Amino acid sequence: MISGTGLTKQYGGITVLNQVTVQCNSGEICGLLGANGAGKTTLFKILLGLVTPDAGTISKDAQSVKSVGGIIEKPALYDYLSATDNIRIFCGSQGLPTHKAAIRDHLERVGLPVDRKDPVANFSMGMKQRLGIAIALLNNPACLILDEPFTGLDPMGVVALRKLIKELTNQFQLAVFLSSHMLDDLNVLCSRLYVLSKGSIIREGNTHEIMHSCTRQYFITGDNMAAAQAISAWPHSLNGNTADVQILPSQLPQLLAALQQEKIQVTACVPQPDLVQLFEGGTV
Amino acid sequence: MKRLIYAEILKLIKQSKTYYALASILIIEVIILLSAYFEGTNIINLLLDNLRKSFYFQGSLLNGNLLQYLVLNTLWFHLPLIIMIVVSGTLTTEYKDKTVQAVMLQPVKKWQWILSKYIVAILFTLLVVIALYVTSYWLCRGLFGEGDLVVYLDGLNFFPAKEAAYRIRWAFVAGSLSMLFFAVSSLTLAVWLKDVTKTWIVCSLFLIVSNLLLKIDLGNAWLNQYSFVKLNDTWQYFFQFTIPYQNIFINWWVLMGYIIFMAAAGIFVFHKRDIG
Repeated sequence: MISGTGLTKQYGGITVLNQVTVQCNSGEICGLLGANGAGKTTLFKILLGLVTPDAGTISKDAQSVKSVGGIIEKPALYDYLSATDNIRIFCGSQGLPTHKAAIRDHLERVGLPVDRKDPVANFSMGMKQRLGIAIALLNNPACLILDEPFTGLDPMGVVALRKLIKELTNQFQLAVFLSSHMLDDLNVLCSRLYVLSKGSIIREGNTHEIMHSCTRQYFITGDNMAAAQAISAWPHSLNGNTADVQILPSQLPQLLAALQQEKIQVTACVPQPDLVQLFEGGTV
Repeated sequence: MKRLIYAEILKLIKQSKTYYALASILIIEVIILLSAYFEGTNIINLLLDNLRKSFYFQGSLLNGNLLQYLVLNTLWFHLPLIIMIVVSGTLTTEYKDKTVQAVMLQPVKKWQWILSKYIVAILFTLLVVIALYVTSYWLCRGLFGEGDLVVYLDGLNFFPAKEAAYRIRWAFVAGSLSMLFFAVSSLTLAVWLKDVTKTWIVCSLFLIVSNLLLKIDLGNAWLNQYSFVKLNDTWQYFFQFTIPYQNIFINWWVLMGYIIFMAAAGIFVFHKRDIG
């Protein structure tokens, strides 16, 4: 478990974080959502102990050698070294075994090949993320903090990394705190969500409920959508077989039922949370 | 601590720029020897033209000892510059690649980690100076043979071959302390500046200003004797007619004080600063 209470940080008179309180429990994946410059990275750096807050306290598992591991912005690796040598250096510097079997275990834990001898510079971003996570997990921290872990990954890499994060959380009962401005990633992974705007937490709670409360628009795809009469009751626009409908979540079942009655087979219904409302706490 | 030092050595060994630095030192050495081979006799003849009218010179003055003395003169600028670039790079590249953050996220004490960098910087510098001595010793003697050394230092001094070799050897020892000072200073500058290019520029400036101030009267007896810029030519004392051992030892102790001070300042600042 990790928590921060009343965290405040100023840089050059500008308040980057203002009385921020967050908590992530064991076996839980918490999300931190915010636009660029909202203070996500600063908050994570404080939780990781890289930056000292001006005010506030952090509570971690005090018993372990390393209570929290993490990656800030992108995995920081020695690009000129192989994955094995990277693990060897990070293990060695904290007194962990550096024999072949131990290093192989660390690589296998995150699904990396153990036989690659080439420099990490040749690795894909997905593999670098995995290696970064392997390094973050050295010494078995109770909490893992991942800042924008999906940045730079292709769709397959995103799916694979989501799976890995879920597996690690379940297997080791980690408290995983991750940030992103990609709503899909947070929606799929996180049970709880914090929304940070201009250094303050403006929303917190169940991820689904927060997304739901900010959604006033859906992309509905179906056969022959152009002929649908039901959607005319709501403001909408059409793009082929996809309708962009302005509708409240509570009214959505009514629309879907009406489309079914018209024999229009809906193949996708994607909520589009209002980004202004979600990121800045404004009203629609 | 031993593991941190081992990790730093591994990083240094695995980086290609380390070998570029060592190769560039060797290239400078070879250029000195080649230019001496083709132009050296003419220059010596020019220098000793007047003396030849009064004295008889037996054997070749363009010999291994003179050439090694010329190589020794790379201690003024070439060698410290290369050492400063490599040593400061051991930290600035960690800032650039953000690996310093990754390390500090591990249960590693900040002061121990940066101290291990200073220790490896010192080991690397000593290794470079030893490599320069050994390669120049064999190359110079192999190509030009042994002979007496003539040095112009407030006048011409002549040293018999055996004594010249002894003086050169100790000059390298004294010079290695100066190199250590520049190496440690460059790492401290890297702690302060973090940025690769800024650190290179400031290191070069530091070296140039140090060399300029060495030739200038600082207007104060203590400063003229013990400011760090005045201590970096201690290796040249070994080519005075009478070696001033007492002054050399005092200079060494003071220079070691400066080295310890610079390292302590770097460790203190690194330890106090946020990494983010």
